Amino acid sequence: MVLSLNDLIAMLIFPGFFFLILMAFFLEWLDRKVVAKVQDRYGPLMAGPAGILQPIADFIKLLSKEDIVPRGANKVLLTAGPILMVALPLTALLFVPIDGQSAIVDFEGSLIAVLFILILTTQLVLLIGWASANVFAAEGSMRSALQMLSYEIPLALTAICPALMAGSLSLSEIYRAQAELGWPFLAYLPPLGAISFLVFLTCSLAELERVPFDAPEAETEIVAGWMTELTGRRLALVKLGRNLDFLLMASLMASLYLGDPITPSLPLLAPAAFILKTLACAGIMSFARGLVARFRIDQALRLFWTYIIPISVGVLVATKLALLLA
Amino acid sequence: MGLLRWARAVSPWILHFNTGACNACDIEVVAALTPRFDVERFGALKVGSPRHADILVVTGPVTRESEPRLRRLYEQMPEPKLVMAVGTCAISGGVFAGCYNVRGGVINVLGKADMMVPGCPPRPEAILEGLIKLVERLRGIKKR
Repeated sequence: MVLSLNDLIAMLIFPGFFFLILMAFFLEWLDRKVVAKVQDRYGPLMAGPAGILQPIADFIKLLSKEDIVPRGANKVLLTAGPILMVALPLTALLFVPIDGQSAIVDFEGSLIAVLFILILTTQLVLLIGWASANVFAAEGSMRSALQMLSYEIPLALTAICPALMAGSLSLSEIYRAQAELGWPFLAYLPPLGAISFLVFLTCSLAELERVPFDAPEAETEIVAGWMTELTGRRLALVKLGRNLDFLLMASLMASLYLGDPITPSLPLLAPAAFILKTLACAGIMSFARGLVARFRIDQALRLFWTYIIPISVGVLVATKLALLLA
Repeated sequence: MGLLRWARAVSPWILHFNTGACNACDIEVVAALTPRFDVERFGALKVGSPRHADILVVTGPVTRESEPRLRRLYEQMPEPKLVMAVGTCAISGGVFAGCYNVRGGVINVLGKADMMVPGCPPRPEAILEGLIKLVERLRGIKKR
């Protein structure tokens, strides 16, 4: 395979690594600002215009701090974990059509690959927590693993619904199929697409360990959960990785549910429209953080196993039936 | 190193520890986080783990019981780290100085306090001003 200059630019600058990392920082700023607005505060204000450089300042500061590995902790895992934490979502983001037309790496089955990478990220959380040799970290990672057992099933089931409609497992293909359909999958056979979207949104919140499913890092109960023992560079990388995860889930939502018939054929508007959709999805998730309280881990499990999983199975069956009858 | 200085100055993450205060200073510290005062404007976040913190905010006279815990929290924080004593008790022991169970202020135990905010309790504005002055010192700006 020959790499052309265009491929290299796409990979490294837009819509590749440079853009994705900047976008991840921007999303953290947006998240903090939205939550601050909900709580009638200003949020970050001093770092750059309107505090937009705040996440970058945090990142640089954390990089420069002392690096502590507690006695008894597994140094190899604590080093490899944060690096993989950044590398995995970055890889998955290459499969998402960020430029609104086609992903950098596009193949039949990229949706499955992304779902697989999401599971791997949670496994990493488990490994980091266990390697930290700290009771709070262990407790946090156990909660994270427990939560994964509940949200992973409906997440995959609902992500399959748009794929069924498109007849393809490639994310770019699903995005394009909605253009051919004429409207986003969100509005598909109302309220079928909308229910599917809501279930996917709930599972994304759980996947990202965000409020109301942030029991794995519940600050008021278990210090900082599985991140308790991370300092300096390790914490900086983990935070960046989690922002990339946030970007990944928001862009997944945009590509699975928010395709539209007009923009994908226009060269400049397509990336802009896709990024706006991603920001809207991220905004919804940030808004939820300002609005709701935390579920206890058993409440979260009960919610998923008694309500969300049956609903997701129902939505999947209904979508298949609708396609058969159409 | 201008970039590093700037980054440290706009992102002071604080860890709050009560060494035996009567809760008045604690309420004022927490009030500094609320919408009316909003310490996040200056980039400050209240973190749960000492491993993530830059500034240790201590309230209350250091009692014999809390002394080893204060020491351990301070040792668990990664360098560079700063200590901020909020309230008269945390500075010197206040009215409890000389009690059989009180070791005095933070400075008597840790040997340092980078910023002292007097008051019983200090108002949230005073705590914010202390934080800002500490941050300005980090940045290398000297004001009067």
